[in-house]
Amino acid sequence: MLMNSFQLEIVTPTKISDEGQVDYVRCPGLDGSFGIMSNHREAIFALDVGEIKVTQNGKDHYLATSGGFAEVTKEKVELLLETYERADEIDAARAEEALKRAQERKTAKEIDTARNDISLLRAINRLNVSER
Amino acid sequence: MANLKDIRDRIKSVTSIQKVTKAMKMVAAAKMRRAQEHMEEARPYANRLSTVINHLLPDVDRDMLELLDVREVNRVGYVVVTSDRGMAGSFNTNVLKTAQNEIDTIGKENVDVFCIGKKARDHFKRRGYTIIENHTEFWNELSYSHAIKIGEGVISHFTNHHVDEIHVVYNEFVNVARQYIQSEILLPLTFEEENGQYLGRLYEPNREEIVRSLIPRHLNIQMWKYLLESYASEQAARMLAMENATENAQDMIKELTLEFNKARQAAITTEMLEIVSGAEALQN
Repeated sequence: MLMNSFQLEIVTPTKISDEGQVDYVRCPGLDGSFGIMSNHREAIFALDVGEIKVTQNGKDHYLATSGGFAEVTKEKVELLLETYERADEIDAARAEEALKRAQERKTAKEIDTARNDISLLRAINRLNVSER
Repeated sequence: MANLKDIRDRIKSVTSIQKVTKAMKMVAAAKMRRAQEHMEEARPYANRLSTVINHLLPDVDRDMLELLDVREVNRVGYVVVTSDRGMAGSFNTNVLKTAQNEIDTIGKENVDVFCIGKKARDHFKRRGYTIIENHTEFWNELSYSHAIKIGEGVISHFTNHHVDEIHVVYNEFVNVARQYIQSEILLPLTFEEENGQYLGRLYEPNREEIVRSLIPRHLNIQMWKYLLESYASEQAARMLAMENATENAQDMIKELTLEFNKARQAAITTEMLEIVSGAEALQN
């Protein structure tokens, strides 16, 4: 069955990228993943650190994001993301390094744990997505 | 009068200095344009973010949002944005002077400083201020991740109650010839509340959670703005300073050339006098 497609745009602090017509988007919501298909009700979703899956012409693409929000309107879906990387653009070695650093800091005391946990989460997420 | 060789050497060295200042001016111009482009690119994201926050804020219990928490001010954090390199006229001097004045009014012992750029670090370190974080030598590969990194440090310093307010002192880019020193209160954040338009939509997980997760992001984009404004200002100031230096070099070359010609003519005159008087001596 052919799915109805809809317009997807990704807006970040450094660029606006028009992704064109897509069939399906899966986003990391604050309390679990959710999917958007065409004719979705108008909505605003907060997004967490995680993986975004975009289905376009029957093909799946994966993005790693550090979060933001999604705005669904009748005309299009906009993802406002603080940062994102496509799976094939992720520098796995660098992510690995960041992960190692964060883990080392975790064992060392008197650090800002909340801040470190976020870096840890981001590094793990980037590694996971890069393996897609 | 200086001899001919000395003057020629000086002309040569001033000419090569002029080449350098001219090149620096061109580089600064290109970098400034890039910073301005970044500012343009950041605008849609920043606007959307603050629109959503402004619309949702009235429905949210403000006491739950720690970054909007207005407390009695005992300790203040100062973020001072400077450059790593000089040769930019009064760019760094002005911002450091303003920041130091404000900090000294509050009392140096009640202020924590976040230094952005080498110039701020050197300045405040030498004078024994309490420095919490230094961020240096990133300007050449300035990216949004730096804004996030600086933002995180500032946010956690505020939410951990180390300070009750965060001020930012930076150069605001007005135009190529003009940069204003700005001093703003970054935290606690303030928003203009609006209502309407977004009614009848679905909010996931709920309005409060959305606002809570977006506010730190709003702060990061603010930080990005400060960095870009400062970077563009730095390059504009350097452009102007180098333009002046190039002009000065031109004047100097002109003066030296004049001096050189005078010296050359004087030398010729002396030589001729010698020949003539020599010839006369022979005739006698």
